Amino acid sequence: MGLLSRNATFVRYSVEGELPGKFWEFAAERIAQYAFQDIDDTFDEYSIGWVSIDNMFDSSFAHASYAVGDYIVLSLRIDERKVSKTLLQKFSLKEEERLKKEKQIPRINRSQRVRIKEDVRLQLVKKSLPLPSVYDLCWNLADNTVLFFSISTKAQSVLEDFFKECFGVTIMLQVPYLAAAHLLDVSQQERLQELHPDIFV
Amino acid sequence: MDLVDIISEKRFLGQEFLTWLWYKSEERGGTIFLPGAGDIQVVFEKHMLLESGEGESLEKLICKGLQTELQEARTGLRMGKKLEQARIYLVKGDYEWRLTLGATLFEYRNVSLPRTLAAGEEVDDQIAWEAKVLERIGMSEEAMHTIDELFRMFLNLRTGIEWSQELVRLKSWIAKGAEN
Repeated sequence: MGLLSRNATFVRYSVEGELPGKFWEFAAERIAQYAFQDIDDTFDEYSIGWVSIDNMFDSSFAHASYAVGDYIVLSLRIDERKVSKTLLQKFSLKEEERLKKEKQIPRINRSQRVRIKEDVRLQLVKKSLPLPSVYDLCWNLADNTVLFFSISTKAQSVLEDFFKECFGVTIMLQVPYLAAAHLLDVSQQERLQELHPDIFV
Repeated sequence: MDLVDIISEKRFLGQEFLTWLWYKSEERGGTIFLPGAGDIQVVFEKHMLLESGEGESLEKLICKGLQTELQEARTGLRMGKKLEQARIYLVKGDYEWRLTLGATLFEYRNVSLPRTLAAGEEVDDQIAWEAKVLERIGMSEEAMHTIDELFRMFLNLRTGIEWSQELVRLKSWIAKGAEN
């Protein structure tokens, strides 16, 4: 459902805040700094960063540039090692049973259970493979809007934080009321603020 | 006001717009005159989601069907529901789009872009790839800007003195639709 797929799904953001004068130099530096780092060969739980919209393995933009006309096109890649609750519960209980037998004790106290659960979680995280999620975005520099190709509120929230961290500007989801402000003059905007829902029947 | 408050307090604006747009599209058999662009086609089809109330009293109605007259949806309007999501067939000049527009967040779902010469072609050099990307962006933005212009038409009416007359026509269309 991304920018290059047959059927696209997206929301629009406006970019709020001042960008530096030498923008393309700034963008190149920041995109390189926040490029995606692979965690396949590590035990890291989480990695987030920019990759090419053409290839999720291209974080140096060797095959396709992020600069296309007056647009910046990027994919936000998030890799995460996840452990299912069921697996965590199963192996935590298994470890508790093993300890009870080994130490000849009838039950495990609460603080021990918490420690066992965390140890088991870390072991399972190390065994699990990172699951990738990739979301395209397109930044129109002429009118300072961003199209983000996902309607997942979780992905949108991650983008909002990451975009601000990377580029130092805030993005604001253009819901109808905010989009309206760009389409109306000042007096109409004042009247818009006063509007209440109308009944159509 | 933060975004969460705006979404909950002002969600009526998008729902009123989408409901008005359905009325506007049927007023001239699927054609709307867009200032600056002339006649464009806006046809509501296949899929609709209507809502009424909020919080615990929120009611939803989903209507689907290939050749349906959307009678259930029209009855829903008569019961005070408004459109929350609709599948729209949009034609402007030589280009046509199909898209599902969400009223509360203005999200564009399953946007099928116009078929053009570059569409579907495999590209192997950077210039051709960039041209393809730019075309896809341009076509997505064109659909969005067209919806923006329709939204501007609605906002001009909604914030102006002509709204009371438009509301009478809209109510009459809703009442008539439910009788058919």
